[in-house]
Amino acid sequence: MALTVQSSPATNDYRQIVQDDRIHGSLYTDPIVFADEMERIFTNGWVFVGHESEVPDEGNWVARRLGTEPVLMVRNRDGGISVVANRCAHRGTTLCPQNEGTNRNFRCPYHGWTYDLDGTLLGVPGPKGFHKDTADLGLDRPGQVDDYRGFVFANRSGTAGTLAEHLGAGGTDLIDRASNMSPTGRVRLSAGWIGQRIDSNWKMWPESDNDGYHLNFTHASMAQAIPDTYYDEIVMGGEGASDSVTRAYDGGHIELDFRRGYTTELAWLGTKREKVTDYCDALERSVGTDKAQTILWDGPPHALVFPNLFLAEMNIARIEPLAPGVTVHHHTPLLVEGTDESVNRRLVLQSEAAMGPASFFLTDDAVIAERMHRAFEGAVVGDDGWIDLSRGLLREHTEDGQRWSDITDETTNRGFWHHYRDVMANDIVNGPANGV
Amino acid sequence: MVLAAETPIVGTGRDYTHLVQDYRVHGSLYTDPSVFADEMKHIFTDGWVFVGHESEIPNGGDWVARRLGTERVLMARTPEGEISVVANRCAHRGTTLCPQSEGNNRNFRCPYHAWTYALDGTLLGAPFPQGFRNGKPDVRLDQPGQIGIYRGFVFANQSGTAGPLSEHLGPGGSDLLDRAADMSPTGRLQLNGGWIGQRVDSNWKMWPESDNDGYHIIFAHESLASSLLAGSQYEDVILEGEGRTKSVARDYGGGHVELDFRKSYTTELAWLGAPRGKVSAYCDDLEDAYGVEKAKSIMWDGPPHAFVFPNLFLGEMNIARIDPLAPGLTEHHHTPLLVETSDPGINRRVVLQSEAAMGPASFFLPEDVVIAERMHRAFDVGGATDLHGHTERGWVELGRGIEREQSGGGQRWSDVTDETTSRGFWHHYRCVMSGSATSGPAEGNGAAPPTDRRATVKADQRRCRPSTRPRGARSRNSSTTRLCSRMSPGTKTGWRWSPTTFTTGCRSGPVTTSRAPG
Amino acid sequence: MDRVDEATRRDIEAFVYREARLADESRYGEWEALVTDDMHYWVPFGPGNYEPGTRVSYINDNRARLGTRIRQLATGIHHAQDPPSSMRRVVSNIEILSTDGDEFEVGSNFVLYEHAVQATGHLRLWAGRATHRLRHTPDGLRMAAKKVELVNSTSPLPNLAFII
Repeated sequence: MALTVQSSPATNDYRQIVQDDRIHGSLYTDPIVFADEMERIFTNGWVFVGHESEVPDEGNWVARRLGTEPVLMVRNRDGGISVVANRCAHRGTTLCPQNEGTNRNFRCPYHGWTYDLDGTLLGVPGPKGFHKDTADLGLDRPGQVDDYRGFVFANRSGTAGTLAEHLGAGGTDLIDRASNMSPTGRVRLSAGWIGQRIDSNWKMWPESDNDGYHLNFTHASMAQAIPDTYYDEIVMGGEGASDSVTRAYDGGHIELDFRRGYTTELAWLGTKREKVTDYCDALERSVGTDKAQTILWDGPPHALVFPNLFLAEMNIARIEPLAPGVTVHHHTPLLVEGTDESVNRRLVLQSEAAMGPASFFLTDDAVIAERMHRAFEGAVVGDDGWIDLSRGLLREHTEDGQRWSDITDETTNRGFWHHYRDVMANDIVNGPANGV
Repeated sequence: MVLAAETPIVGTGRDYTHLVQDYRVHGSLYTDPSVFADEMKHIFTDGWVFVGHESEIPNGGDWVARRLGTERVLMARTPEGEISVVANRCAHRGTTLCPQSEGNNRNFRCPYHAWTYALDGTLLGAPFPQGFRNGKPDVRLDQPGQIGIYRGFVFANQSGTAGPLSEHLGPGGSDLLDRAADMSPTGRLQLNGGWIGQRVDSNWKMWPESDNDGYHIIFAHESLASSLLAGSQYEDVILEGEGRTKSVARDYGGGHVELDFRKSYTTELAWLGAPRGKVSAYCDDLEDAYGVEKAKSIMWDGPPHAFVFPNLFLGEMNIARIDPLAPGLTEHHHTPLLVETSDPGINRRVVLQSEAAMGPASFFLPEDVVIAERMHRAFDVGGATDLHGHTERGWVELGRGIEREQSGGGQRWSDVTDETTSRGFWHHYRCVMSGSATSGPAEGNGAAPPTDRRATVKADQRRCRPSTRPRGARSRNSSTTRLCSRMSPGTKTGWRWSPTTFTTGCRSGPVTTSRAPG
Repeated sequence: MDRVDEATRRDIEAFVYREARLADESRYGEWEALVTDDMHYWVPFGPGNYEPGTRVSYINDNRARLGTRIRQLATGIHHAQDPPSSMRRVVSNIEILSTDGDEFEVGSNFVLYEHAVQATGHLRLWAGRATHRLRHTPDGLRMAAKKVELVNSTSPLPNLAFII
């Protein structure tokens, strides 16, 4: 239990260590970088918290983190959503140690202080001992909370501008496409979350979750064990073999866009229409035949909404940084409404295969991430320890604030890192950035 | 564990006058590794720290392993009968000399190259003498700059610059130790019931707080109300709630604080949960030793429930020490306070009581442990508290009772549910950590009762006492000198509560205000 | 001294397994029903080579205190076990050490995994040896004593607020 004493420069020059075609490995391991991230990205910016379908009834809550800050996302009495610190305002005891629950109010076990669902202090035992107005002693709260199509985001500092600005056209479209998978236009995250604990930095996950170059190699065992998946045609054919593209939107939002790569409808579900007729019919009834056709062909997005929301096709994942070298990657299947439950059962099965600590995919990525992290432990900025991210830099296209290139190119990684640079160098508070 | 280990130490210069305010403290004080490093220096190196009790090592060669902050030491009895405290670390390459928790040795021999030390840390010999300039290396085991003993309680000050122990204890701390030691008819305690340690994944400062918090018992220990506490002494002294008991939370200055139950007991021996008939030989011994009057007051008042800064908890009939190992890792050790008496039953009874109250499988402490761990987690570095020193959020509220507490004679006191004890700890902590005072005298926080109570809340009126000697001035006391000889039983140097309102002015009279239990 | 008939041996082993399962699942009432009125439940410091009560033990419960312990757990507001730890123990090396009339002294080893969900979420590992004294009663086998020697009992322990 000895403390790790690391000396680091007081400030990092993020313009120096995040370059157009390479980044320095200390960005993963330096605790000063992590502290800066907690401030500039996870305090001053918008962070994904959860989905309103997770807390359908009054008093429902789930425990989350905004960066490392523990919070509760709660359904209020007025039907709204609040996000409050999971920490008594008196002495700081964690209010709810579980992952989720339903409460009429939050009562601290230490001295019995009781809070309403929105964090207002309702009462303290022995009130005569206090000189302060209890109205001043509610739970800490983020400066602003907002949602888009049920996806709840919070910004602790309250200074990040609007959520709409943060999402921009790209992020908005990605969330629209995920939500439109449900015939009602409203997804339901009710199948529970699985968390995988990984001994790597959190930024391996925006990278690897949206990397179209590694699948043939990292996931070769999966390809052998389960041949003929839809990944063969959209990404595993190799360089130039598919019409899929990597795409970077403004604001650090990035996508492996498989839409043009699919050669049949419902390929993303690995099935045919006759197996899920009720779902397809419900979609057509709801949005019309043409739009339903597009949805059934295009499928859900495979994308990152900066900084911590991974729209993983028919999964939703959130990336939780706990320390420079500790990350939890949580996921839940994206379930749909307005149709019979058979399609949702299929989605749960698919999710179990793809994500989580015993799945076919994520386990391999976890080992890669941990091996990356180890390789940069103690890295200090110098000539050594750089990571090359130049693949496709010279052949990628730019149009309407987007960049795209071959599915095996590192356009997604660059999109993440270049926005990261803008935020970390304090050149922008948040919101849209104009590419590289 | 991973989090704590990976947390870097970043910079120095935390502003403790900002982080510890009169009525609130910042959560980073629990989790920030820089704060922990500062504490190891300012509190556990430069100040006095409780080590153990003489009675633990009655014979020459006896030793016990302890910590002064994170420094591992041995407290030993030399063949001449003196107490020594030496580093548990060979002066050659640093091998731990004694990995066990206690033992008896003629000398300490390092297993690596067989360097051998006397019990006072002097190097006796090293093999193959030709290799050394004078046939022997000129080293000895590291030792604290000074040690001091009061009523058998051994304290050490690593730097040697903390001034005398009597200044550190002050009248308040001395009185608390007196009252604990006086529980024994001979005035000598026997801490030979063994220690139990509990490992806690929280910062150490949750323990001075929670061990001496009179506000949480009804809530945090709610589960006991229907099982153990019903009919126990705690019903009278604390469970009634705000303003219902005559117990008080007391701050003696110097970081020494007490939950003072004395005014609330409605029978003699209530703190033992037994009538006189069960321990009559013990009571007779007390009367023989102290006289009827004083014995009566001991039997009514019972042992203190108090904290002697920075790591000694007088837990009624237990003694506990708090070992900080890392920002998020603490050990809470305890042993029953056993007495020297002809009574065959009382020590057995005290051991049973100890097993119920303290330790990882007891009725009380596990609940406090979970609370402490849940506090610590809520302030993890980077969460409420970050390494940039931002303090907009993540404060701990400690204002309870600040406007109604009373002061006088160098003390503050208030209702037993008030946070006077926690503030007493933290305000002294602020003085020590900000360098405004050594871990020194306990003449209180300096303020007379303010006329304008509101003003007390605004201003940081609790001034630190200046150090009585320049920093760096080294005491001349050697490691085996007793700074304070044992005081004869009954010698009181501190403030005493005078029983003017509770009974009819005299504890020996019939109790007229007792309530029916429940 | 290991001479019991096979049927008795099977009963004894079944009892030890059942006791372990009820403890794992925090089924306090059913667990408590397994003990006799003179039950002694002891978790000593070290191997327990001392008379209980002469030095502090982690647990040294007579029947009354054991009842108190169970009542506290059963309140549902014992924060140290709220929510109860998720636990599974593996019990092995069961030996019948001695018989004395209707009583059997039974030794076994265990490894217990505890998910301490109340605060840290740490996975905690406990290991040790249990010695049961089991007695034939009109209601079947009952437990008159259980002693648990933890392999690490001389080091500071985290919360041991469940039934071990």
